[in-house]
Amino acid sequence: MSKQYLTWGSADNAHPIDIFSLAVTDKHILSASGASSLKVHSTTDTDFPLVQSIDDAHKVGCHHIVTDTKGQRAASAGFEGDIKIWSCQEGNWSADSVITANLTAADAWAIALSQDGQYLAGATQDGHIKVWDLNAEGTQIRDHETKGSFGTCIDLSSDGRFIASGHENGAVYIFSTETGRMPFSLSGLVKPVRAVSFSPGGKLLAAAGDSKVIVLYDTSSGEQVANLSGHSAWIMSLAWSHTGEYLLSGSFDGKVKVWSIDTKLCVATHSETEKALWSVKWLPKTGKTEGFATAGANRSLSFYREATGG
Amino acid sequence: MDPHSPSLSRDTPVREYIDTTLTALLHQLSLPPADSHPAISLKRRPSPASCTINPSNRALEEIPGVQVQRIYSWPGRTAYEAWRFTVVIRVLSIIEQAMRTGRAISKRDIYYIDPEYFRSQTVVDGVIDDLAYTIGVDRTALHVVRPVSFSNFDSQETLIPQIEDVDKIDISGVRWVLVVEKEAVFQRLARSSYHLNAGKGYPDLCTRRFLSRLSDTAAPNLPFYALVDGDPDGVAIMSTYKYGSAAHAHNNSRMSIPRLQWLGLRVTDAIAAVDSVEDGVLLSLTARDRKKIVAMLRNSPVLASNGPELGWRAELQRMLMLNIKAEIEILYEQEKGLEGWIDQEMSRQTH
Repeated sequence: MSKQYLTWGSADNAHPIDIFSLAVTDKHILSASGASSLKVHSTTDTDFPLVQSIDDAHKVGCHHIVTDTKGQRAASAGFEGDIKIWSCQEGNWSADSVITANLTAADAWAIALSQDGQYLAGATQDGHIKVWDLNAEGTQIRDHETKGSFGTCIDLSSDGRFIASGHENGAVYIFSTETGRMPFSLSGLVKPVRAVSFSPGGKLLAAAGDSKVIVLYDTSSGEQVANLSGHSAWIMSLAWSHTGEYLLSGSFDGKVKVWSIDTKLCVATHSETEKALWSVKWLPKTGKTEGFATAGANRSLSFYREATGG
Repeated sequence: MDPHSPSLSRDTPVREYIDTTLTALLHQLSLPPADSHPAISLKRRPSPASCTINPSNRALEEIPGVQVQRIYSWPGRTAYEAWRFTVVIRVLSIIEQAMRTGRAISKRDIYYIDPEYFRSQTVVDGVIDDLAYTIGVDRTALHVVRPVSFSNFDSQETLIPQIEDVDKIDISGVRWVLVVEKEAVFQRLARSSYHLNAGKGYPDLCTRRFLSRLSDTAAPNLPFYALVDGDPDGVAIMSTYKYGSAAHAHNNSRMSIPRLQWLGLRVTDAIAAVDSVEDGVLLSLTARDRKKIVAMLRNSPVLASNGPELGWRAELQRMLMLNIKAEIEILYEQEKGLEGWIDQEMSRQTH
């Protein structure tokens, strides 16, 4: 059963250079790029207008931006190793300088924020997985050591109980946030992992990267339950739909794919460009319509929505 | 064969001299201080008064038996003598390095390596000429070049001429100029009769001046391409060719190549290249590479987000994102080969 997605609009040349990361709240889509500004576009208006530009956020550019689900807190990581925390009041984002100052030595590359915005998890270049409590002004509460391979990507389960990290050597780890233990070191990928993502209920973990295959793991057993093949380039980004029925993936050749978790088949493929997609994200549901956004080396945000058939 | 080209056989006497001299010095230095007398003796070049016309070949030659030796010793009797001694050693080691890496260097370049230390160009010139005279070779055998004829531009052994000495540059018939970062890549291309110019690694002033002058005199639509590794050094080298270096800011206006365009190697090219071969592997960035990229992004006006080379900035950031770098050699394994790739890329960038 294939699904139809239609182009829903775009924010052309939203940044002057590659957009490396997107983060979505109920009202906003935040974007980070190789330039120094972060941009905030509205998702409540289908013209997706620019509502805020946070200038000089990261002088050397920003590679990761993440938010909580309520849209009150965001975190961004810059190429200089600088991590900044942002808070949103009445629709306006501003720096949280106290927590930001406490995170100056955080040294994380990939970052993830828990849904309630309390915990920031980060994977470092030397393979450590760290957690900071942002409600305690950014105190570091965990530091897990792995085998030292570059931590390229990280995710937190929606209940906050697990952290997954993906590494340059192909390793994927799952940690329990409560015990600090690592129940699973997952096998299956030998090439660099570029994206890991927990399903909304936390039962599955999707991981993908240079092997061009998406591997689904059962998080309770650590077993590999499916391989989704179809991309012909490195996979850079993964995102689950709100219900967990669909998985979105973006690749280095500019293709975005939607996969049915039920049938394990690709149900839609789109591309605006042959340039790399660095980030793909589902948008908040407006009514019954599901949509998603993509961004990458073509410097623009592209929006798609499901064709409702009527 | 160009008489000025260095070759293995021409290197031999120089190499022998350097080895013998340095071994003797090391031996001296290994002795107890009381018995240690490190010294270098150089033949003084004859003054016109000590010369005569050799009747057999009508050449100006030294009168036999009046040769003068000058001995430089360490630590010497004065600070001046000690300094002279170290200057000779320093110049010898620069020459040794030039020979080892197969590059040519000019007297001027040697002086500019450390002007404060050498004090004047004359000091450097004197030592080089004394060394050549002592070994009994001409200066080019020391890999210290003066101009060579420019006619064999496409010969793989042609040295970069010193621009002051080139009266006229004629490059009519040349369709493009390719600046290559690496000697090995250059050699591979030269064998396939490519017309190009090889700088090797970070360019010396002579090479930059030459290319800049070439660009100034070339037809406006003649493309100049840079083929450098997809790593921070590759981008920094290309930036030095195109815009100059901070160290020689006062000279950059005479040494830049504004028309220089980046042929490759970009991260995307490298990924495509490894994808096309079985088990192709890209190198990871080292900690030094990552630090260097961040420093370049932070400090270089060329790479600033409001600067002239956003594409270069993006490429450096992509390297950081993917933690990979790419060496030109990866293109050897391509189905089309290195030349095929270059042809395709040039045509893509022109259209």
